[in-house]
Amino acid sequence: MIGLFARLILRPLRAEPVRTLLTVLSVALGIAVVLAIELASDAATGSFRSSLETVAGEADYEVTAVGGLDERLYAKLATLPLAVNVRPRMEDHALLVESKQTLPLIGLDLVAHALDARFETTSFEPGLILASATGRKVGEQVTLRVNDHDHLLTVRAIVASDTAFALVDIGVAQELLKRPGKIDRLLIDAPESFESRLKEALPAGATLAPFGARTEENRKMLAGFRSNLVILSYIALVVGAFLIYNTISVSVVRRRAEIGILRAIGMTSTTVLAMFLAEALLFGLAGIAIGVPLGRLMAEAAVGAIGATVQNLYVSSQPGVIALSFLATLKAVIAGLTVTLAAAWAPAREAAAVAPVEAMARGRKDYEVGQQQYRHLAIAAACALAAFGASFAPPIGRRPLFGYLAAALLVLAASLATPAFVHFVTRATRDLLRKLLGVEGLLASQSLDAALRRTAVLIAALITAVAMLVSVGIMVGSFRETVIQWIDSQLRADIFLQPAVPAGGDRFPTLSPDIAGRVAALPMVAMVDQFRAYPIHFRGLPVTLGSGDANVVKRRGAFHLLEGDPDEAYPQMLTSDAAIVSEPFVNKHGVHMGDTIQLPLGDQVRPIRVVGVYTDYSNERGYIIMHRERLLRYLPDPAPSNLAIYLKPGTQVIAAQRAIEAALSDARVLVLPNQTLRREAILIFDRTFAITYALELVAVFVAVTGVAGALLALVIDRRRELSLLRFLGAARTQIRKLILCEAGLIGLLSVAGGMLLGGILSLVLVYVINKQSFGWSIQFHAPIAILLGALTIIFTATLLAGLYPARVALALNPIEVIHEE
Amino acid sequence: MKILLLLGWASLLSAQYRVALPGYVYQFPADHFSHPDFQTEWWYYTGNLRDTQGRELGFELTFFRQGVDAQAKPGIWAVRDVYLAHLAFTDITGQRFYHAERLNRPGPGLAGADAATRRVWNGNWQVTWRTESEIDLQAIDPRFSLKLTLQSRKAPVIHGENGVSQKAQGAGRASHYVSLSRLAVSGEVKIGEETRQVSGQAWMDHEFFTHQLDAEQTGWDWMSLQLNDGRELMMFQLRRRDGTIDPYSSGTLVERDGQTRHLSRIKMTPGRRWKNYPVEWTVEAAGLKLIVKSRLDAQELLSKRPQSPTYWEGAVAITGDATGVGYLEMTGYDKPVSFGPLK
Repeated sequence: MIGLFARLILRPLRAEPVRTLLTVLSVALGIAVVLAIELASDAATGSFRSSLETVAGEADYEVTAVGGLDERLYAKLATLPLAVNVRPRMEDHALLVESKQTLPLIGLDLVAHALDARFETTSFEPGLILASATGRKVGEQVTLRVNDHDHLLTVRAIVASDTAFALVDIGVAQELLKRPGKIDRLLIDAPESFESRLKEALPAGATLAPFGARTEENRKMLAGFRSNLVILSYIALVVGAFLIYNTISVSVVRRRAEIGILRAIGMTSTTVLAMFLAEALLFGLAGIAIGVPLGRLMAEAAVGAIGATVQNLYVSSQPGVIALSFLATLKAVIAGLTVTLAAAWAPAREAAAVAPVEAMARGRKDYEVGQQQYRHLAIAAACALAAFGASFAPPIGRRPLFGYLAAALLVLAASLATPAFVHFVTRATRDLLRKLLGVEGLLASQSLDAALRRTAVLIAALITAVAMLVSVGIMVGSFRETVIQWIDSQLRADIFLQPAVPAGGDRFPTLSPDIAGRVAALPMVAMVDQFRAYPIHFRGLPVTLGSGDANVVKRRGAFHLLEGDPDEAYPQMLTSDAAIVSEPFVNKHGVHMGDTIQLPLGDQVRPIRVVGVYTDYSNERGYIIMHRERLLRYLPDPAPSNLAIYLKPGTQVIAAQRAIEAALSDARVLVLPNQTLRREAILIFDRTFAITYALELVAVFVAVTGVAGALLALVIDRRRELSLLRFLGAARTQIRKLILCEAGLIGLLSVAGGMLLGGILSLVLVYVINKQSFGWSIQFHAPIAILLGALTIIFTATLLAGLYPARVALALNPIEVIHEE
Repeated sequence: MKILLLLGWASLLSAQYRVALPGYVYQFPADHFSHPDFQTEWWYYTGNLRDTQGRELGFELTFFRQGVDAQAKPGIWAVRDVYLAHLAFTDITGQRFYHAERLNRPGPGLAGADAATRRVWNGNWQVTWRTESEIDLQAIDPRFSLKLTLQSRKAPVIHGENGVSQKAQGAGRASHYVSLSRLAVSGEVKIGEETRQVSGQAWMDHEFFTHQLDAEQTGWDWMSLQLNDGRELMMFQLRRRDGTIDPYSSGTLVERDGQTRHLSRIKMTPGRRWKNYPVEWTVEAAGLKLIVKSRLDAQELLSKRPQSPTYWEGAVAITGDATGVGYLEMTGYDKPVSFGPLK
């Protein structure tokens, strides 16, 4: 049996090392991508615990309130006659100026922790404790930039830790963060039976939640992002599946005669099936052997990009350490093997079905596709119809599962329709090709049609890859265009001002309250709008609560209202507890225009009416925006997160920027002219989608590799025919032209089919998947120039992929080949 | 005479503080609370209890205040003083010993000793003076807790002479030292999930001073003895580096009617040892010869923090010329005790 396997399967594989290698490589790449994305997104999205919760962060419960807790609540809870342990915590981020490191800044009650041997506090001098990961030493002076101020602090102790953080006493943290009298969180160790008694002791606006609920919420929020990324990564594997299918089909077709003989001398059809599945398994295993270490390497590259996206859109976290976990590896291995075996199933079954007599008769059996075409077309039509239906289905648990189903059905439909597509197109263009490319073009077209079984699969693989590229390209392009338009309407001010520390999806460093006044006093400044943002929690999900001056907004119109009348909404915000909310907020929480939401503000809960819905693409968490003066009543912290500065007509922006910078030379702020901020926003956007592009490229690379391998097979298969052509007087250049024509035709057909399928898929992505998973409305926009560029590259790559097979074809010795017969 | 466990935290600038000098005039109830101009202050409650089923128990609840920096920048989180507290609980019948410790700054009301609200507290361990002779104790730990009411049967006892309890040669090497020597206890004790009604005798010590020991003194042995004949005896001896007993060792005898007598001549002879600690003593003072034996040997308080000293403090039983119960404290057996700036 093993000897048989070696002869029937292994020997041919060895005989064509390049083709074998290419197939293995494509499977390996698919597995590597799946694993890399899994590992990298694990590291990037699973790490908020390691970022902010490394130090003394475990507890049973946590108490939080929007705008912070009154510090007296700490003493109140600590003196309750209950066996509980209460620990206060301040949390933010700071910039270690010397090393340009952004790290979590944590404030703890270091006196209460002094009994904890871990901190080894030998004095109560206010100072800084740093994680060893910062590379600093005890006694050093370091500059910590918090919000818009630099503070010189002495390192009092170093705590061993792989994650960088800065630790200060609670009082120091309040000073650095300018949150006098406030505590961000109280961590509580208490049995469940005390929960109700603890709640009784809390003011109305404070929430008691099981510890880690916030982390859970973050995870929940990131789950959609992650699943989109993971699904995207499987595309490469699906493309790899097409190639496996192709490879196994080729080996079945070429070994028909051998199979027939073996069947005739008594081999069962099950054994034949097993043989070819074993071949696929061999590819799968080899792919795994290369793919797993490769995936680990690729994860390193991907984690930075994914981490940046998470920061920008969701939550502050430092990417964690990439861990090649057993589970992730197992998932990739199972996915790889399943896809490989599933892809090989149909050709292997066909091999098993070969009747001995039929096979013994010489002659290829490539040409019986015809009668199946109509059946396949019918199934394709049914799939397309089902896809159409699925695209109208609602999301399941905020995940666009039906959207994915629709996309998968469309890909299936396209694959089934590909043979017919190739057949009709080659027939229809035969004369044209002859005119354009001469006899070689005609021969190429005919041989594509003749070997439809194989070429169709190849083209289907390339179509899928191209379609993915096109559709994701259109989706991202549409998104980008929409965002640019939105930025144009949103960024109305001439100059923006923010603290010179990195911000993030949930991180809003603040400016000193006096800065707005100092800027407003400058002669060239017409108006200053102060914007403040708080990361809050609403119905178990993170949300951003913001405030701005509704007067300024009304006059300058920075928000584009989807629902609600600006003439009514803004005056209502001025005089009552009314808010406008962003579109993602509405979609996520099912809150509608005119609804009243209960919002915990400070130590009370206030009913807030929704008077408008506006478009926003800056933050997937969703915004609730109130009028500044109104929110200050409940959250009296006057520090703004950033300023929008409107200049008097005729003022030079550069001059104004210099004047503002000069006036604020004592503060660490960034003064950004409108143009700069706009550029920055688009840069962030592009960085966010960099990983998507990278995934696309891998899929296309896998497909192009497949083309090279398949063409090679075609050449080897047709060596008799090619030699005959040579024998009949065809020049070497003509043979080369023939092969390149075939490659080019495959490329063209794939690009054309891919554009068609991609266009349809992009509709699903833009209007179904994106809308359902992020809650963003995107205006359709095809980035034609970029797409054309990408498609040209793919076409060229396919053409280039024909070069090697062409060389192999030329190397054939016609006399020798004919003698074989 | 008690111990302080805040050692290991340097920054004792004693010069900022007042020292205990003769002639101090006590004013109660104000003097039961904080004296922030002295660097060190403590309040000790110890007692021997029995529950309704006859189970024998002992407890210790102590609050320390240590001045860290009298010139600390004012502010709610300023570390002018830190408050340490110890809670220990001896299940004599069950032969088990539990203890817990906590450290806090006054902060927004975490710990303190406040005459206005008549409270000495550290988190949810607290002493509340209902009247000048009625005190509520509360101490809560996940493993055990107590809620006791103490009725003082005698007037406050002021130890030493002329308002100071001298500890070493030199002005100010002394403390102001007050006790409530006979407190009748009733209340409840919770061990695990089981609540028991208890009654018994307790003793309160309150002492405040600045840097009272000298460098040659390495530790002390202190005991409070409540005799069944209605008298109480407090005595301490200071051990010197050379192995001798410091002549400033002394004691106080409290008569049935509350009259007190300063005892400058006392004799404490160590007997059987557990680890380094002599857990049996023969003492001679005020014409009495008493045998003092620990009611459980393992009553040693170990700090979570390795730098902090450990000490032994526990319930004792008295036989000999009189019978009774009391509490014994022994310090400086692992390393010398010092109030000076360390490291």
